[in-house]
Amino acid sequence: MTVFYLPKDKFVGWLSGLNGGTVFAPAATALGSWVRRFESDTDEPPALDKPRAAQSTKGFFLPPAETIARYGPDAGSVAIAEGRNVLVGVRACELKAWKYLDKVMLEGDFDDPAYRARRENAVIISCDCADCAETCCCVLVDGRPYVEEGDGADINVTTLEDGYLVEPMTDKGVELLGGEFSEASSEQLTARQRIRDAMVERLKTQNADFTFNATDANPPDLPLDDDKSWQRHSADCVECGACTNICPTCHCFYLFDHELAVGSNERVRAWDSCLLSTYHRMAGGENMKISPRPELRSRLANRILHKFVYSPQQYGMLGCVGCGRCVDACPGAIDIRKVVEDLSK
Amino acid sequence: MNPENPYEPEPAEIIEVIDETPMIKTLALKPTSPYQFKAGQFAQLTLPGVGEGPFTPSSSPLEPERIEITILKTGILTDGIHECQAGQTLGLRGPFGKGYPVDKLDDKEVLIVGGGVGLAPLRALIYALLARLERVKRVSIKYGARDTSELLYKRQYDEWAGTKKVDFTCTIDRPEPGWDGNVGVVTTLLENIDVDRPNCIAFVCGPGIMLKFVTQALMEEGLTPEQIYLSMNRRMSCGMGKCGRCNIGPYYLCKDGPDMQYSLIKDYPNVF
Ligand SMILES: Cc1cc2nc3c(=O)[nH]c(=O)nc-3n(C[C@H](O)[C@H](O)[C@H](O)COP(=O)(O)OP(=O)(O)OC[C@H]3O[C@@H](n4cnc5c(N)ncnc54)[C@H](O)[C@@H]3O)c2cc1C
Ligand code: SF4
Ligand code: FES
Repeated sequence: MTVFYLPKDKFVGWLSGLNGGTVFAPAATALGSWVRRFESDTDEPPALDKPRAAQSTKGFFLPPAETIARYGPDAGSVAIAEGRNVLVGVRACELKAWKYLDKVMLEGDFDDPAYRARRENAVIISCDCADCAETCCCVLVDGRPYVEEGDGADINVTTLEDGYLVEPMTDKGVELLGGEFSEASSEQLTARQRIRDAMVERLKTQNADFTFNATDANPPDLPLDDDKSWQRHSADCVECGACTNICPTCHCFYLFDHELAVGSNERVRAWDSCLLSTYHRMAGGENMKISPRPELRSRLANRILHKFVYSPQQYGMLGCVGCGRCVDACPGAIDIRKVVEDLSK
Repeated sequence: MNPENPYEPEPAEIIEVIDETPMIKTLALKPTSPYQFKAGQFAQLTLPGVGEGPFTPSSSPLEPERIEITILKTGILTDGIHECQAGQTLGLRGPFGKGYPVDKLDDKEVLIVGGGVGLAPLRALIYALLARLERVKRVSIKYGARDTSELLYKRQYDEWAGTKKVDFTCTIDRPEPGWDGNVGVVTTLLENIDVDRPNCIAFVCGPGIMLKFVTQALMEEGLTPEQIYLSMNRRMSCGMGKCGRCNIGPYYLCKDGPDMQYSLIKDYPNVF
């Protein structure tokens, strides 16, 4: 669609004037960029020129814990739909992660109404990466650091030196942009292409040590979880679950029930982690095998196999989008790139 | 199940509690709306305020208004369920999973192998097959339990054994005074089995170790992995292929199983 040019002040004015939803955008902090509520009285632009935020935005659609049902004669039912969120500064890798989560949560015989309501309610204003983290590796998994039509954004933004290129990508986006903005010049479009090409080059250079090139159709060939070589990497895992929490595609959860009052019970859905020893625990006593993956080695293997081997078979998509967040988060310094590089056959 | 929210259990009243063995009870439930399930599909059964767990109905899929679930007492949830009395209300979600491929069994020799409480889901299959016996070639049921007190559904054996085209044999692990039937683990009933091997489909349910030895025994008898279906009753939560918990390789057992053709899973580690 048509690309528009907005100078800085106009862009910030447009963002803070957005109504009909709560606006969230990345803000620069000493710990890197964090997604925060974007206050409408600010004249500070969101941190679109910084690397992706430390946390992924999956929590907007799949919160760490939520009441997913109430039951019992006096329980009433749980209100699912929430207000509209406008998410600004979403990266290409995250859009890909949401495509993946949409397949998990919305396809098949059962729809997930809570996820669907929040997903359909949200407005997505993405941005091209103008900077990246040292761990960013989208280029190793067939990704790219910029957004195109069809990726799932309503509007995409490219940061230029003196302003922004803003490209609506859906009807919702066109409506939201509204106003009378000037069309981007061909020089500005060329500048956008230069920025994109440069980012791709930079990502390739920073990942030059890794030779694998994973695609949905050609995922890496990794050994199954009984292979002892996984031990080389699981030796550093402390079973904290940081990687699964921070990962934009990890979606494992567990349902917990408790009684609120007589006749009124609540079912809570909470994030879970496949690295934890309790994750697979089954009923049974002595002399019974109560976990199919009692060894940490095989649980770590299962996580990485799910991303790189099983997901392409299940959903036709790799489960890793190359955001690098798990590499930043892991206290054991496990680097998923090194694991795949080391174990690929 | 609430069509608006698949996480919300639908009330189901306990109408009867049947003591099967010292550790196993069958609850008969009256669901709010008819619980239409295929044999082998499972339910998430809620004990209000405590939690839920996966259980495969043991009753006939042709009777969706009275669901029977046979439950081994083995932990927090099942201890609580064993305390329940008729008149109390539990909750049901589902049914989940694929169910047994009953409509693919025309003209087949069906071999049903159960161990302990593993006969529960298989009983739903037996009911489904009894309702279309004219289509299958034969149904052989082989069942084993530790001792006579642990044999499930004793009241039905004579009826099964007496039905034309159906053959029922059971065994207990150790000799016992007053028992003149077979003694030995269930695999002893599979030696030189009298079935038309190339035309046979086997369904197996029981503890992990039993699945392993039965699979070995069936392969030794000449069945192929394609002919063997195993109940893979792993830890589950959502039942819908979303919570991620129950995978063997790329299969979510809740969605693609829980009964899996052995050929699909045999190359993955930790199957048993
Ligand atoms: C598809 C399917 C069908 C089944 N059908 C039947 C059936 O027909 N009949 C039958 O009797 N059984 C059946 N089962 C097994 C049954 O679901 C379990 O035996 C039952 O859920 C055990 O629950 P429990 O609370 O009594 O056991 P517990 O051992 O108390 O477990 C409670 C829950 O918490 C977890 N847990 C317990 N302790 C810990 C701990 N220390 N740390 C972390 N987690 C813990 C367990 O994994 C479990 O999910 C089936 C299972 C599946 C998957
Ligand atoms: S972040 Fe690292 S240490 Fe923590 S669970 Fe994941 S791999 Fe293990
Ligand atoms: S039980 Fe949730 S994915 Fe299978």
